[in-house]
Amino acid sequence: MAYQKAVREYSPGMLAVARFYLDHSSAEEVVQDCWVTVIDAIHKFEGRSGLKTWLHRIVANRCKNKLRASKREVATDFSEGLEPDLAERFNATGRWDLPPKLQFHDSADTLLENGALSDCLDKHLSALPETQRSALMLYEAHQHKSEEVCNILDVSASNLRVLLHRGRQKIFLMVEAFQETGEC
Amino acid sequence: MLMCRDLAVIASDYIDGELSGRQSLSVKMHLMMCRDCRTFIGNLRATTDLMKGHSSGKLNEAFLQRVDERVAEALRTKTSPNKDK
Repeated sequence: MAYQKAVREYSPGMLAVARFYLDHSSAEEVVQDCWVTVIDAIHKFEGRSGLKTWLHRIVANRCKNKLRASKREVATDFSEGLEPDLAERFNATGRWDLPPKLQFHDSADTLLENGALSDCLDKHLSALPETQRSALMLYEAHQHKSEEVCNILDVSASNLRVLLHRGRQKIFLMVEAFQETGEC
Repeated sequence: MLMCRDLAVIASDYIDGELSGRQSLSVKMHLMMCRDCRTFIGNLRATTDLMKGHSSGKLNEAFLQRVDERVAEALRTKTSPNKDK
């Protein structure tokens, strides 16, 4: 069925949006509700944005309403700078003390053929703070433009930059450790 | 003068083309002279490619089943000739 296919294709992104705002079970509930809403409202889809963006906006608006109703806010750390594990690799003069040892020579596709690395990536993505993970998923995996991500997640451009860089550093450190030791 | 640590702080902005022309030039100058930072930027870029290629968010079957059931129910209600409208 077309809807089943759409549910499988679009739900990961919709969940990534919902997890920015809500806990896991509330996020799943909102995504389920949104699919029901979409069935009634699909005629309102005007094609001005892509279907993916339209769905993500529906989820974001529903989450924001839910937060407003419960008078809660998204708690986010927007402090700039380096992850502690990366920061401690520089000396007092600002030069590398422990520079990256290996170069990631393989292409992303080749790296991802390594099932253990792919599983490790899943594990570390799950362990990221929700806000960093949602920002990364929407920007990298779902390839939204910055403005779209800011709009969907209701964050400023500078705060999005912080979320992306903090998340990327953590994943970079994970890939580096995996490349060096073969362990997750 | 831009130090390695400063470059690491703005590395994502550089990769995404979000720096001003002047900042970007200063990163490029530093990269010409610093092999460690070239490796770092290359590896960080590879990390972003990795996430782009990663099939994100495996969904659990129980969740999918619940969505399928609710979608099927909503479609039944929508197309049912006996619905109250």
